[in-house]
Amino acid sequence: MLLLYFKISPDGKAKIQLQLVLHTGESTTFHFANESSALKDRDATKELLQQLLPKFKKKANKELEEKNRMLQEDPVLFQLYKDLVVSQVISAEEFWANRLGGINNTDPAVVNNKQEVGISGAFLADIRPQTDGCNGLRYNLTADIIESIFRTYPAVKQKYSENVPHNLTEKEFWTRFFQSHYFHRDRINTGTQDIFSECAKQDEKGLKSLVIQGVKNPLVDLLSLEDKTLDEGYGICTTLPSTSNANKTVKESSNSAIIKRFNHHSAMVLAAGSRKGEAPTDQASETSSTDGNSRDSDFFQPPVKKVKLQEAIEYEDLQRENRPKTVALNLKKSDRYAHGPVPLQSQHYTTSQDIINSVNYIRHEMMNYKPNLTEVLSSTAASSAIAALSPGGVLMQAGAQQAINQMVPTEVQGELKHLYVAAGELLRHFWSCFPVNTPFLEEKVMKMKSNLERFQVTKLCPFQEKIQRQYLSTNLTGHLEEMLQTAYSKFHIWQTRRMMRKT
Amino acid sequence: FKVPDEISLLVIVVDVNPIWWGQQAQREQEFTLSKCLDAVMVMGNSHMAMSRTNKLAVIASHCQDSHFLYPSKSWKAGDDGADDASSSGDGKYELLSVANNLIAEEIRNVMSKTEVRGNSTDTLLAGTLAKALCLGQEIKSRILVIKAAEDCALQYMNFMNVIFAAQKQNILIDACVLDSNSGLLQQACDITGGLYLKIPQQVALAQYLLWVFLPDSEQRSQLVLPPPAHVDYRAACFCHRNLIEIGYVCSVCLSIFCNFSPICTTCETAFKIQLPQMVKPKKKKLKQTT
Repeated sequence: MLLLYFKISPDGKAKIQLQLVLHTGESTTFHFANESSALKDRDATKELLQQLLPKFKKKANKELEEKNRMLQEDPVLFQLYKDLVVSQVISAEEFWANRLGGINNTDPAVVNNKQEVGISGAFLADIRPQTDGCNGLRYNLTADIIESIFRTYPAVKQKYSENVPHNLTEKEFWTRFFQSHYFHRDRINTGTQDIFSECAKQDEKGLKSLVIQGVKNPLVDLLSLEDKTLDEGYGICTTLPSTSNANKTVKESSNSAIIKRFNHHSAMVLAAGSRKGEAPTDQASETSSTDGNSRDSDFFQPPVKKVKLQEAIEYEDLQRENRPKTVALNLKKSDRYAHGPVPLQSQHYTTSQDIINSVNYIRHEMMNYKPNLTEVLSSTAASSAIAALSPGGVLMQAGAQQAINQMVPTEVQGELKHLYVAAGELLRHFWSCFPVNTPFLEEKVMKMKSNLERFQVTKLCPFQEKIQRQYLSTNLTGHLEEMLQTAYSKFHIWQTRRMMRKT
Repeated sequence: FKVPDEISLLVIVVDVNPIWWGQQAQREQEFTLSKCLDAVMVMGNSHMAMSRTNKLAVIASHCQDSHFLYPSKSWKAGDDGADDASSSGDGKYELLSVANNLIAEEIRNVMSKTEVRGNSTDTLLAGTLAKALCLGQEIKSRILVIKAAEDCALQYMNFMNVIFAAQKQNILIDACVLDSNSGLLQQACDITGGLYLKIPQQVALAQYLLWVFLPDSEQRSQLVLPPPAHVDYRAACFCHRNLIEIGYVCSVCLSIFCNFSPICTTCETAFKIQLPQMVKPKKKKLKQTT
């Protein structure tokens, strides 16, 4: 059942109805009769349908896509489809019944084999402002860059969705974005008028929470990366430079601001990249944490201490292999393999005397062997050999029978192949119905029998007539007919048995 | 179209089963092992004469072992060979006369060392073929087998392995059979794309070799040669060794049987087969007479 769309009755009407229109064109109307909650029910159904419909459409499209892909990739399958479904010998459902096993069962995340595209760390730099002549700057924004910005800075995305298109146009939004000090390096003066000042505050919060969480990996000690000078007497601990704002010079504070922003940016890019399976338009994810920053730090959590330690000390290759338990082959008569499936040949019985005689004889003969290459072949022997090897000779008899594939034109051969493939498919469906022990199989076997008959009439008989017209005397369709006949007689036997059981 | 300077190796495997050839010599004076070897030499010379880059190897398949007749370990280039060549006096291409002399010398050695052993009277053909395969590793090669004695059924497994290995390496196996037909060699030729021929006249061996087996596979497509023989691929059941067309195969050990039995006699695996259900006849209700 494929739902195409649905309609609801206008609000003013007395009857509260919902109509579903299917892919096939059929429509079903639901009338909500419960006086008190009719409207609520219908609206709730509508909401649910609205949520589910796009997902379902995606799935349906995927199925269609998969079918198309299969037909395109396999020309034999395509030909079979044309022969059977297009000419209405069997229905499309039956054709696809056994072939689409994987599609509906697998997790959509697994089926979607496309890899997530990561975010380039330099996407901001790619914007590359250009001077446009009159003291202004021109920023080139592509859809990719916008996407990168949204994925990395959810706060900006939120602002965007809040303000565009109600308050600002897209162009205005981005102009403000680039003008704001939020974007620029030295975020020293952030005026409260700026819509992005909140973003700056959020960023600060996020960064602080990141620092507080620290790194959970016991093997990584970030603090040891600080600059330590062991100069001048070794062990004299120089005081760490103070981080309080009061003592900083202007330059120092702007440097540390840049470094802070740099680190934050990298953290955000990594966090955005590690957010898996999240489409930008997916509504579900928006509902969780609106504070993009703290969410990123969740994903930044390294694995638990124990796991890390285990990883460091264990090697997978050195573990004992966990192979499934197998049963050893127990051959009682392994000598059978020595001769294999070869028939018993009448053995030449040689007495030991024979053996001794033969060996002596040959040793004697070969003792003084000298090649005599001028008398290898007599002319009579040579000419009789040549006669045997010439066309019509003793050794060339088998070739007189022309191979069947040289007598039948290639199009006929091709058609025959298609017939075999199609017949094979139908017969497979037919024979798989036996033993018939459910009503479904009963129906199917009867349908398949009529399909076979239809195939014979629409495909096989015209082919036979065609080759008869071409005066091809070889019986090309005998085997096919035999197979169909076997199927018919099996059906007949089954039918008679069934009728006997009923009486 | 032959790529110039492409090395093409021909390995001739000669069945020198002493018992068969000894008996043959008593049956048929006209065609003895000496004559056979002469024909093989002509074939080898012709192959080398066809192209500068053609190479030859000759292996004798005995019932004790397989022995390289050519190239030989005892050949040292440039000393003894030169003398013999000049002594043959017919101005032959030196490589050919060297080869011939070596082959003759080696076969004399091999046959003189033949011992009388009752237990092994079969030609060790599978082993020889395996050696031949090892030769043709990186160059284009083919194998020609000159078969005299009967097939040895006990070599079946090794033989089949050799055949499939040859197929994988694209090495043709041709067979020229002197006496009784060999099912194994028929299969070998069929699988690897070679030619199988049982010659009607042994004395004309050289002619058959030159006509049928001298051209290589590309040249054969241009020639009218004896058509491939129909190969009987029917398997024989393990229980009676009869050839069967339809049988039962154990899924565990792959033994073939002509009849179903619930336990495989080779590996003792038990099998259940669903018998068709018996339809119980309905009991007729006795009519009560009032």
